[in-house]
Amino acid sequence: MAIYEEPGRPRNWQERLAIWRDRLYDRLFHNYIWRSIFRSGYPNTPRNQMLVVATNIFLHLHPTRIHRTHAKVTHTYCLGGLTFFMFIILTVTGVLLMFYYVPDVNRAWQDIAALETNVRFGLLMRNLHRWTAHGMVILVFLHMMRVFYTGAYKPPREFNWVVGVMLLFLTLLMSFTGYLLPWDQLAIWAITVGHGIGGSTPYLGDEVQQVLFGGFEIGQNALIRFYTLHVLGLPLLSAILMAVHFWRVRRDGGLARPL
Amino acid sequence: MAVEVRRAVPRPALRPRREREEEVLVWPDLLFPEFISAVLFLFTFILLSVFINAPLLNQANPNITPNPSKAPWYFLNLQELLLHMDKAWAGVLLPGLFLLFLAVIPYIDRSNEGQGVWFGTQYSVRITLVTAFYSMAITWLLVLFDAGKFERLTRFFPTCSEDAQHHWPPCLTGGANGLGGARELYTRLRFSIGDFDWPQDWRFPLPKLGGFSELHFKNLHLWGDMNINVAAVMVEQVIPLVIVFGLAALLVYGLFRIGWVRTTRDVMIVLFTGAMSSYLALTIVGSFFRGAGQALIPPTDLRVDCGTVPAPPGCP
Repeated sequence: MAIYEEPGRPRNWQERLAIWRDRLYDRLFHNYIWRSIFRSGYPNTPRNQMLVVATNIFLHLHPTRIHRTHAKVTHTYCLGGLTFFMFIILTVTGVLLMFYYVPDVNRAWQDIAALETNVRFGLLMRNLHRWTAHGMVILVFLHMMRVFYTGAYKPPREFNWVVGVMLLFLTLLMSFTGYLLPWDQLAIWAITVGHGIGGSTPYLGDEVQQVLFGGFEIGQNALIRFYTLHVLGLPLLSAILMAVHFWRVRRDGGLARPL
Repeated sequence: MAVEVRRAVPRPALRPRREREEEVLVWPDLLFPEFISAVLFLFTFILLSVFINAPLLNQANPNITPNPSKAPWYFLNLQELLLHMDKAWAGVLLPGLFLLFLAVIPYIDRSNEGQGVWFGTQYSVRITLVTAFYSMAITWLLVLFDAGKFERLTRFFPTCSEDAQHHWPPCLTGGANGLGGARELYTRLRFSIGDFDWPQDWRFPLPKLGGFSELHFKNLHLWGDMNINVAAVMVEQVIPLVIVFGLAALLVYGLFRIGWVRTTRDVMIVLFTGAMSSYLALTIVGSFFRGAGQALIPPTDLRVDCGTVPAPPGCP
């Protein structure tokens, strides 16, 4: 009676299939190129899973372990993460939209109209950009309400809440500056309302209009300012503040818990 | 017969679980939900984008003003506020104060109570609900009042003519209707104390405060003149602000008196919830209930795209 069987010829078709499956897996994932990208295989032990989270550049935003209560979806509803995800979608679609758009009052509207009709997936990208922008504004508010009602702004997280308020304001500004870019009737008259509101700043009304809108009416100056702020200034500032925001979540000890 | 059981030895306390035992691994317990939610949202938004197109009206034309012109929806609350008070307060100062209030919440409420759990204090759920209802209801009532829906309540004022002087008792010019909004306290209410007529005699030169009056707070209503127009300042600034802050203070005080609000955290919950609820209510009013000339209309009559050429049916 053999205690173990020598690996020999497969006895039936199931064993034959298993051998081919293993060979295929080896070819796909144990080859030189794959291993140069992903140094280890699928992390199927707790130790390797922690190691991956700690060492992978995209995952190392997370701690390796979290408290049981924070793993429940109903604690955070993933709202902060989803807001960030909206920002990523907006960046990707926004870069694609920039290929086809020139911020010139004589061209902007034609560019958008052409984007919708002449560019493959242009309409989809513009729609996606628009709706995720609205989604981000809503998610930012919901995230703030989640943090507030779970008392997560309390010490030692005071300043991270302040950073969050700045990000809320930046999100609104990013959405607002993007609103003008299609240069249609909806855009300029909405921004005209905002122009009037900015001009009603006590003591500094004219200055606000000059700095933010580049003049006393919505024209080329306003368009180029809004464009630059929308595609460069505000996202850059937001990215920096987001880095601070995420970093401080970790530094302040992860998500808030009852003491 | 009840038997009193007395333990000789107190029950051993449960062994406190160590921190490490309460923890789960981020892979898979956090990454998996994150991934699923991201995929769900991505597909939802792609579906939305396939079926609903982003609006693109006619090319911008500075000569054709759509009526109504509306700000983006998240600023429609400010646009709505503009209809009710001084534009500097509505557009800049109140939202600025709101952001400032948000930022300083953690520096006012520095306790650790209720940290890390939903609605951590004893009555926080009910004060949140009561505050949300109170703020939205009052916001709606105030909007309706300024739209003249409650003018019947003030028809007891006698009427008087525009050019008459020395009115007593107080009376309303321009028809038999009662007050159709707070601003009519300035435009239609007339009364006199001796020779002193409301509103035209209530103008006082601005006191010189070491050059301060030359600053010209030109956007704060009629502040930039050499005179303070008391009636205009009352209607545009004092009354709206007293209502906004007074009603908030009233709610906090009332909830404190009945014992639902007990700590600074509770006060913050009331103020935050109230501000957010009013913001939401104003956004809804501005989005769905404001038609041409910012008149209050039912959402079914709404036309938003009258800026196109040719104007769609139903537009002036």
